[in-house]
Amino acid sequence: MKPAESHDAFIETRGLSREYRVGPSVVRALDALDLEVPRGELFAVLGVSGSGKSTLLHLLGGLDTPTAGSVLVNGRDLATLTSYERTVYRRTMVGFVFQSYYLVPSLTAEENVALALTFQGTFGDARRRRADEALRRVGLEHRARHRPGQLSGGEQQRVALARAIVHTPPLLLADEPTGNLDRATAQEVTSLLQQIHRDLGTTVVLVTHDQEMASRVADRIVHLRDGRLAEAAAEAAEQATPARGTSPDAGGSPGAVGP
Amino acid sequence: MRIWRIVLLALGGLRRTPLRVGLTALGVAIASSALVSMVAFALGIQQQAETPFRTLGLVNVIRVMPRKDKGPGQGPALDDAALARMEALAGVEAAFPDFRVRGLKIAHGDKSESVLAIGLPRDVPLPGTAEELLVAGEYFTPGTRPEAILGRQAARDLGFGAPRDAIGSTIRLETSGLSPGDAKTFTFERKDLEATVVGVYDLPNLMAGRMGGAVLLPVDLMRQIPGIGSGFALDRLMLGQDPTKAGYSEATVRVRRHTDVAPVDRAIQAMGFRTRTLLSRLEEMRTFFVFMDVLLAAVGTVALVVAGLGIINTLLISVLERYQEIGICKAIGASDGDLIVLFLTEAGTIGLVGGLGGLALGRAVCWLLEAAVNAYARTHGVTAHLDVFAFPLWLLAATVLFSAGISVLAGVLPALRAARVDPIQALRRE
Repeated sequence: MKPAESHDAFIETRGLSREYRVGPSVVRALDALDLEVPRGELFAVLGVSGSGKSTLLHLLGGLDTPTAGSVLVNGRDLATLTSYERTVYRRTMVGFVFQSYYLVPSLTAEENVALALTFQGTFGDARRRRADEALRRVGLEHRARHRPGQLSGGEQQRVALARAIVHTPPLLLADEPTGNLDRATAQEVTSLLQQIHRDLGTTVVLVTHDQEMASRVADRIVHLRDGRLAEAAAEAAEQATPARGTSPDAGGSPGAVGP
Repeated sequence: MRIWRIVLLALGGLRRTPLRVGLTALGVAIASSALVSMVAFALGIQQQAETPFRTLGLVNVIRVMPRKDKGPGQGPALDDAALARMEALAGVEAAFPDFRVRGLKIAHGDKSESVLAIGLPRDVPLPGTAEELLVAGEYFTPGTRPEAILGRQAARDLGFGAPRDAIGSTIRLETSGLSPGDAKTFTFERKDLEATVVGVYDLPNLMAGRMGGAVLLPVDLMRQIPGIGSGFALDRLMLGQDPTKAGYSEATVRVRRHTDVAPVDRAIQAMGFRTRTLLSRLEEMRTFFVFMDVLLAAVGTVALVVAGLGIINTLLISVLERYQEIGICKAIGASDGDLIVLFLTEAGTIGLVGGLGGLALGRAVCWLLEAAVNAYARTHGVTAHLDVFAFPLWLLAATVLFSAGISVLAGVLPALRAARVDPIQALRRE
């Protein structure tokens, strides 16, 4: 179904920038990023830590606001939304998966999945039915009554995946979803992600540093370096001083620019 | 519905740290038990103090006297004509001369006793709940039959074992007095009257005093006592006025409702008489009790505020502990309002549970104290049960609501903290 829609940009960023002030210096996490993600694409963003990929995900998910530029999702500019409108956007349009699962330890798997529905105003039988359905989709219906502490890492991430899709959002944002998992389990979770993407037609933005995994599942991959697409970053590096050009990928210095 | 789910979520949150939440709620319980028992104490004491007023209907009574400032005989005489005019005033139930004879000798068989005799009108029922004081028999019957109601002590003195033994028996009243014959002559007269005992009354301890051994007689019977109602006769005689028109030295006007007291009081004063009411005394007393209530409630409130600080503390720690969870809730669609509701609910629940626990605790403590007070009172010869504490329903409801209210207020700061959690900070990879 995707090829026909591939020119319909579901996500579009224009000159997207996000700067942080750290003490006296300004850190530019994202630097005038232009991206287009068609509806229904599984889009991977590759980059080392500090390349700005998490910041991109936060901006796409409406958790953060850009310092410049715009994020359009489904034609709406997230920067123009009020705080409450962004909450509603997260509630209805987005599902999040994180590296550390972030399940609520005191709630069972089913309750964790249903938690997302609570804030969306789905109650009663519908709430339970949809939570069970989401758990079934990740193959964990038999673990519904278990608490996170009683589940393996892979199972926890699958519960988190179920929570992210229980309200069938059109956009799924995954931040290093396999970062805490061993290779075999990671494979399992990735296939699940792929399957959900295929079955539900969900647009997925997958942020990872695992090149091999990205190339296996993604429709398209971009490399992020110092808050820019790698090609653009390379160009910029050529024009810049040699010292500046050698700095990328150095873990702790995410494209720092002097004050 | 949505709120309800979030409330359930809040309850789940509280379950996670039962010891900490339990201790916080215990703090609230102790504070609200202090509040409820102190106010209950103030109310109980007030009730004890007001009981005589209410039982004897003293609030609805106006005492009327001739004016003294103009000298005897200067103001209008307090005679039957004046009483008839008072009785005609709106709201007045009865107006009658206040007959009290000290040392009246009553006798039955070979036993006799000097008692205080008090005159009461037979046509109007007893005021307040005084009827309940009758331990045997009835109040006076209408008509003119000579009747008497004995105090329990007086009945015992006359040789009646049980109160009901006295009912129907005839007692002798040996009376004497000086009555003005004409403008110059006073006659000393002795007169024996007879009366049928129709009732025996008993007073609760706190009201007892001398009244326990008194005899109540209908006003019309007491009129037959020589010299009664001529209190000012000698004074008038000395002034060269007709002593037979002296009038009574004191009269009682009973009104139907306590709201009638003030207008009737003014009307009687306008007739040229002096008056005294207990309503003003009672109101003074009530003002005092209001101060006492407020003071004790304030102390209880201080305790509750301290308990509220405990709630703030507990929930602030909870916000810190659940920092990540709050972040995730925000990421999956919880609004700031949802989180505020969540934490206010947790605070309110602690307050509600604490408040209810406080009622139970307060009630138990008061029950123990009351038992102790009564045991002590018994060793001092008090036979009746003393209700030291009063727990009206409104007090119970107000305590729980107040406790929950203060707790919700205490939840505001933690709730705002939770609402302000930045999900990006909270979800930063560790």
